[in-house]
Amino acid sequence: MIHVEHLTKTYADLRRGKIVALDGLSFDAWEGQIYGLLGPNGAGKTTALRILSTVLQPTSGLASVNGFDVVRQSSEIRRQIGFVSANTAVYDRMTAWEMVEYFGRLHGIERDELRERMERLFERLQMNEIRDLLGAKMSTGMKQKVSIARALVHDPPVLIFDEATSGLDVLVARALLSIVAQLREQGKCILFSTHIMREAERLCDRVAIMFHGQILAEGTLGELRNEHDEDDLEELFFQLISKHEQAAGIGVRG
Amino acid sequence: MSWQNVKLIFAREVRDQLRDRRTLFMIAVLPMLLYPLLGISSFQVSQFFQEHPTRVLVVGGEELAAHDAPPRLFDADGTNFDPALFANEDKPSLVKLTFVDAADLLPAHGKDDSASAKQLADAARARMREEKFDAVIYFPDGFSHELTAFRAELKSRVANPPEDRPLQDKSADGSSENGSSVDGKSTDSKAATGEEKSPQSDVKKPGIPNPIIYYNTAREASQVARARIEGVFYRWTTKVGEQNLIDSDVPKSAAHPFSLESSDVAEAGRRDAVTWAKILPFVLMIWALTGAFYPAVDLCAGEKERGTLETLLCSPAQRSEIVVGKLLTVMTFSMATAVLNLASMGLTGAILLSSMPQLGNMMQLGMPPVEAIFWLALALPPVSALFGALAVALAAFARSTKEGQYYLMPLILVTMPLMILPMQPSMELTLGTSLIPVTGLMLLLRELVMSNYAVAATFVAPVAGVTLTGCFFAVRWAIDQFNSESVLFRESERLDLGLWLRHLRADRLATPTAAMAIACGLLILLIRFFTTLVITPPETAVGLLVLQAVTLLAFVAAPALMMTVVLTRSPRKTLMLRLPKGQALAACIALAIAFHPLAIVLRDALIWLYPVNSPMLAGMEALFTEVPYVWLVLVFAVLPALCEEVAFRGFILSGLRDMGHPWRAILVSSVLFGVVHLIVQQSINAAILGVLLGYVAIRSGSLLCPIAFHLVHNGLVFALPKLTSDVIAGHRVFDVLLVPTTDGSIIYRTPVVIAAALASMAALTWFRKSTRQTARDAADKFAVAEVVNESPAAVVARREHVPT
Repeated sequence: MIHVEHLTKTYADLRRGKIVALDGLSFDAWEGQIYGLLGPNGAGKTTALRILSTVLQPTSGLASVNGFDVVRQSSEIRRQIGFVSANTAVYDRMTAWEMVEYFGRLHGIERDELRERMERLFERLQMNEIRDLLGAKMSTGMKQKVSIARALVHDPPVLIFDEATSGLDVLVARALLSIVAQLREQGKCILFSTHIMREAERLCDRVAIMFHGQILAEGTLGELRNEHDEDDLEELFFQLISKHEQAAGIGVRG
Repeated sequence: MSWQNVKLIFAREVRDQLRDRRTLFMIAVLPMLLYPLLGISSFQVSQFFQEHPTRVLVVGGEELAAHDAPPRLFDADGTNFDPALFANEDKPSLVKLTFVDAADLLPAHGKDDSASAKQLADAARARMREEKFDAVIYFPDGFSHELTAFRAELKSRVANPPEDRPLQDKSADGSSENGSSVDGKSTDSKAATGEEKSPQSDVKKPGIPNPIIYYNTAREASQVARARIEGVFYRWTTKVGEQNLIDSDVPKSAAHPFSLESSDVAEAGRRDAVTWAKILPFVLMIWALTGAFYPAVDLCAGEKERGTLETLLCSPAQRSEIVVGKLLTVMTFSMATAVLNLASMGLTGAILLSSMPQLGNMMQLGMPPVEAIFWLALALPPVSALFGALAVALAAFARSTKEGQYYLMPLILVTMPLMILPMQPSMELTLGTSLIPVTGLMLLLRELVMSNYAVAATFVAPVAGVTLTGCFFAVRWAIDQFNSESVLFRESERLDLGLWLRHLRADRLATPTAAMAIACGLLILLIRFFTTLVITPPETAVGLLVLQAVTLLAFVAAPALMMTVVLTRSPRKTLMLRLPKGQALAACIALAIAFHPLAIVLRDALIWLYPVNSPMLAGMEALFTEVPYVWLVLVFAVLPALCEEVAFRGFILSGLRDMGHPWRAILVSSVLFGVVHLIVQQSINAAILGVLLGYVAIRSGSLLCPIAFHLVHNGLVFALPKLTSDVIAGHRVFDVLLVPTTDGSIIYRTPVVIAAALASMAALTWFRKSTRQTARDAADKFAVAEVVNESPAAVVARREHVPT
């Protein structure tokens, strides 16, 4: 479903010189699977997901979603994915219904079908009470629901969640995680990036631990635990990163 | 591009803007309030000045007020001017007179001492300041007495007529009196002329001293007071003069037997149109720009700030659809703002004019012609498209609405001169002015509003061409902005000058960046601009040669060479220091020779389009004839070829190639090359030449080719004036090619020009053939060197765009 091979992204920065945001990233994710990208802030998760959502272009390497190439077939890709990120906000001066309808129409869904689909979606995500509420008046949780509805309105085979639970309270975060789990049951391929280990443990079928634009370890949770002889994912994560930093001669971060 | 998506985005953006109170205020509420408020306040201010009573101190006027034979200056009570002396609008109640004795103004002086003019003025100023008088009228001692005596004598002379008296002298005398009392400033000279004219007359010269009015230009109210009093005195002296003529038994009409009548032949509609033709296009432009800018900032920078841009970017809508949808929205609001402002202004004006017809007479303004509305409506969409696209492209660059607002000023600074230019009295719609963006359109609109359709029709094509080209490039720029990651995901960096300079030096590439190239061009421009201001052009030929040499070496070549050494790793590559193929070089020289007749035609065409009226240039041409050709070639051909090529085809062109597309680099470098020539005619000429030079440079990959072209081209240009008509007649070759014109210059014969065009094409083809392989290699090398900083897609694009 998602195929990423030697993906590299560099850009120039005055202060730090040439920044390597992604350094030869490779992984695969399949339908009916939640693939977790774990990593501290600045590990390159968001850059990778932005490339997959065609918002950014890779410097080199390949990435494809459902067989479509992210550089050459970018508009096809955008029909294949639903993208929910901390950076994809909700319009202030639109109601929940208008917002989801707008993106549905941009996806070319017929008016009648769109209305039917949206009714079901609003029912499922329990959004009927915020249907006519303007984005500016919504709480963070409400906004996140609208974002999810916006990403699901065209029923894409692939869903990408980039730190989707950040800023949400426990109740709303739990609700979101259960929606993600439901989507897996429907056979969607889900890419889920987070820096919260508990979420990854609860949700992900496979996990990649990212640091400095590279994948340090990859596999199912069981595989990772066996391989590194450590049951606690958080501990495992910390050890991996410390080892990498020592190898790079940087020293453990505080 | 799917129009369905464009329509969706457009509809959403419009609704979004309509839900924003700030936008609504700017485009709808403000104009509807602005003009009525302006109208009311200016009406009130003018009312205030009309109603404000003038306080006047009358010094030494009691005698005149007390026994005053008609025509009287003061009314019967002796408290105000005679009501008959007021014009209709100036009601007598608006003047308050206070009478004082002359001794009261200057207490130190006795009645017989005559005070000096300065003392009087000082005293009057003091009184005006202390007691808030708007003006002081001073009647000198004996004014009333002398006036009465003079008039009595006139009467007695009619009763006992003396022999042979010259009648015409009398009337001349009378009119001179009239004039002098109106103009209070130059009293002495007028009195003197009166004295010179009257000696033959047997009537005693009237020894009437002139009354003086003291006023203060620095105070508005005082100026109003002066105008009122002068009006009263003018009418009074006229009456006195007329009465004098009657008393002297001369008909009243003798003083002014006839007058000059002026008659305006303009049709009533056109007279009003002149003013409107200047105002309306300006208002249209200003509001179209303002109306475009604020929504553009909200739509682009605002969307970035609120984080919804990424939401939109990962929707199926393509970047071009997003830009076009946003652009249409911005255009809509730009047009709406302009229309609402014009409508509100028109409505307020109409109400004001109909309620106060005298205002219209005063300002010589009637209602604008109805056709004007049609022409303005026709011009509005392209204007809004142009400003809209510029605003969108600029706003896309901003990270936040606050940053976006900062970009309004530069945009206004660039466009405002273009809007002010057509307001200059001497600006007319010609082929030259029609080619200036914005200005040309405004001048065309002016002609249309004035119903000069024949003139307008002649220039519709160039104006439309320039405007649409401008729109096209502005839209392209806006789309490019939305396709650029560095623009859309620009992060804020702290400005650290030291760090930045170190980065420039430490992280320098083999060739300069586009930003460095543009900086170099601007640096040369600035230096040249300021040196032209500071240095006065020398008057000798030697001085001129030295100045030109110093300018080229120090202000053109030196900055470029310095930047090359400091900012690039490979000066050789930057300046394209490599040998070209012999054939390519030969083709270049052939091209320069073949192109020469065309260059002369081009130069003359430009001078015809934008006539040169610079005495400096004419003087320079005269100096050139004295200078030996060798020196001319050295300073005006060899040095420019070396210096200008190093700067413009060397450093600047190399840097601009960083932008990707070679033709874009060539065009931008030629525009810079043109701009630094400072004089419009030379600039256009240089820009066109710059395109050829840039092409030759990139295609051959060697700076030697443009140097050779430039050298031969300039050498030939300066050789031509050296030929006199005698020389041409003497040599058969010259005679076949050239022909002297009536004004002394020498031009090519028309068949020669046509042949030259064909020869140029042949030379160009030869050059292309001889450089086919070099061009491909050069483009490849260039692409490989830059691969680190670019996506593979961009490198592929660059390789595919070798100029062909």
